[in-house]
Amino acid sequence: MPNIRSVARRTMMACAVSSIVGTAAFAQNVVVAIDPGSAESNLYWETIGGLIPPNMQSLVGNDPETGVYDASGLAESWEHDEDFTRWTFHLKPGAVFSGDWGPVTAEDVVHSVALHTGDDSRLSGIQSLRAATVTADGDHTVHFDLPNPDPDFLFLHAGRAVLVVYSKAQYDAEGLEGYARNPAGSGPFTFVSRDLGNTLKYDVAKDHWSGSSPRYDSLELRFVGEPATRLAMLLAGEADIVSLPRELQPEAEAQGHQTISSAQASVQTAFVLSGLFMDPEGPGAEMGLPWQDVRIREAMNRALDREALIDVLYEGRAEPLVVFSMDPRFDGHVPELARRFEAEYGHDPDRARELLAEADYPGAFANPVIPIAATALGGSPEFGLMAELVQAMFADAGLQTEIREMDWPTLQNARLGFTADFAHPMRNAPVRPNGIGVLASYTEQLSPAYSIGSRELDGMGDRLIETKDLEERAALIRDMFTYVFDNYAHMPIATISAEVVANPQRVAGWTFPGSSSSGFSHFELIETAD
Amino acid sequence: MQRFFLVKLVESAIALWVITLIVFGLTHFSGNPVGALLPDDASPEQVAFLINKLGLDQPIHIQYLRFLGNAVQGDFGLSMKWPGQSAMDVVLSRLPATLTLGGMAMLISVVIAIPLGVASATRKGTIVDSFAQGIALIGQSMPSFWLGIILIWVFAVGLGMFPTSGSGTWAHLVLPAISIAWFQISALTRLTRSAMLEVLDAEYVKLARAKGVSEPIIVWKHALRNAAVVPLTYFGVLAGSVLTGSVVIETVFSWPGLGWTAIEAIKARDFPVVQSVVIVFAVIFILANLLVDLLYAYIDPRIR
Repeated sequence: MPNIRSVARRTMMACAVSSIVGTAAFAQNVVVAIDPGSAESNLYWETIGGLIPPNMQSLVGNDPETGVYDASGLAESWEHDEDFTRWTFHLKPGAVFSGDWGPVTAEDVVHSVALHTGDDSRLSGIQSLRAATVTADGDHTVHFDLPNPDPDFLFLHAGRAVLVVYSKAQYDAEGLEGYARNPAGSGPFTFVSRDLGNTLKYDVAKDHWSGSSPRYDSLELRFVGEPATRLAMLLAGEADIVSLPRELQPEAEAQGHQTISSAQASVQTAFVLSGLFMDPEGPGAEMGLPWQDVRIREAMNRALDREALIDVLYEGRAEPLVVFSMDPRFDGHVPELARRFEAEYGHDPDRARELLAEADYPGAFANPVIPIAATALGGSPEFGLMAELVQAMFADAGLQTEIREMDWPTLQNARLGFTADFAHPMRNAPVRPNGIGVLASYTEQLSPAYSIGSRELDGMGDRLIETKDLEERAALIRDMFTYVFDNYAHMPIATISAEVVANPQRVAGWTFPGSSSSGFSHFELIETAD
Repeated sequence: MQRFFLVKLVESAIALWVITLIVFGLTHFSGNPVGALLPDDASPEQVAFLINKLGLDQPIHIQYLRFLGNAVQGDFGLSMKWPGQSAMDVVLSRLPATLTLGGMAMLISVVIAIPLGVASATRKGTIVDSFAQGIALIGQSMPSFWLGIILIWVFAVGLGMFPTSGSGTWAHLVLPAISIAWFQISALTRLTRSAMLEVLDAEYVKLARAKGVSEPIIVWKHALRNAAVVPLTYFGVLAGSVLTGSVVIETVFSWPGLGWTAIEAIKARDFPVVQSVVIVFAVIFILANLLVDLLYAYIDPRIR
């Protein structure tokens, strides 16, 4: 099975070769057609932050190849105090807003934080910023004081991008209407127009203050919901880069188009269980959920043929996931679990049947049927098929199932209201640092709706939030992932990269790390072809 | 005629009120929009704030009365998906695109279907008739979204004659308009054919033939004028169907109209926009049918 990094490396090498062959990029409009993203407003905090506007910048960036936090954002450096409760960012002195709105200052950051943390903010991950006290210290230094230690604070400012910096001068002159009409940003593009929900147009910022500008003239993001239409746009030469479900990619590749993968893993997928099922007094007990029994959970995991799932869902271009939300790039990773995976989670329908017999399934269960939510989520077109495949594998192992078709808001409402009584596909995008991931996916601390209801795990989560000791923190994260693994709390499936398909006659390459929610960023690094 | 008009007007108002009840009920009973509007990690406080802000914590009858009171004044509330914009503004800004597409689809339908129906009737049993029947059969059997994708594949990707999607030029109109029109062509062709067959068998047509009136005059002047009542009745349905039929086609062709807006609003459970779209569609449908009723009464005084 191809490794994500090797695929990315091959892609980048191909891009590099193409770049050498077609050296001088010439002026052109680059058209990128993607799924309708959550980019419905020029007021970023009114979106859920799926797509960072290319004309805006946050404080911290991500290296396009490694995904590591870097100084490609507005801050040239940063530091934190010993206990990670004060983060200080030093802004680049030369950074300026487009449209002659002046230099980027610490006051702009304070002003932007106030806008982003208002009651009307819908940004994912905004709670952590809401708890911060932000103060300007001179023109180019800004402090974030946090109530709890947060060693992963940079994540909020990088790929997660809960804060992009708006011009206070523009606000003072034009108010929110100015932002809505033509938001001034400091990024390598300038805003041109928005056709509500259909198109976003940008011009390249000539002579950008950073010293580097994209090597093309303008960028057009088109939001096209129908994948077949996006494919047609690519084949007809109307779009240079399109996002496509993996089952459509071979058709584009057969016509000579080139798939470009994010340099790093972008998304983790899993099948997750609802109902605070590890709380003996939680809603799961009232609903009589069969997966309250760990033997049933292990049987569900044993029933899954992950290799087949990856082949069918991701054309084989994915890596099996060991624990949902655990990633080897961050502190708290437990390599030991990968070694144990095959023995304890490997596909073994016979073992699943034994476990079900041990648990006296279905006889001992008042409600033995496992409802599976077949749902659709923008950017994860495989979820419906995933639900059907999992159902077939469960049935093969002797589990009783039913498919419930529902849209994502219905699913989400059930989870937010703790009335969910089903298993469903889930993703982690962008892949979060392990400390955030484990809290958000399993405990009541960050995303209460996704808590598994384990008091033991919540207790470890409490300690994780409080601790200032990095070693203790890493040890706690490891313990939490091991607990999740040992208790078969979810069904991890795969780690995948973000992918687009590009017309090689127009686009020589694009290096992006896959570290944003949509997977796409670094539009300025799109290399046009001769 | 005046009384007839007033009765029809009152009927239309009642229909519109019933539609507000249905659309309000369906949108609200489909679940609340919180799950669509908030991220996964929304806190209980965020959920409570949004529910309160949207007025969803009020009893349903209070919500309806508030909605109706505002709707009468043209205020359908603020869009949830497109913050800062009124729902009706979102809808009205998209209406011209849908009317343009719908108008083109109707024009294509009428220009093709009427002559085809007449030709099919006057040449009954010939290859022309078979061709017309075939066109009608295909149009009524084929889902319009699938037809749309096929048209994109053949005429945009294969032949490069038209753009795949989007808007801006007349060329962008052609494929989506044909996708919408084909089903209507089928229905209108069959209706015209059957009406013409009936009329062509009438005594006055035989008399005209006996008096030596030329066949084109008989068909296009005497017969079609009388047969037109049937397709004209269908015209109201056609107008409404063409507009509402754009919902799927606009998504396939990324056409920036009301249909696309409706789909996006439904996915996001943007109640105000969904309600505005449905009300606007309903008004168009009702007006089209009112117009047809009046024309029908004008043409045939017995109806009054």
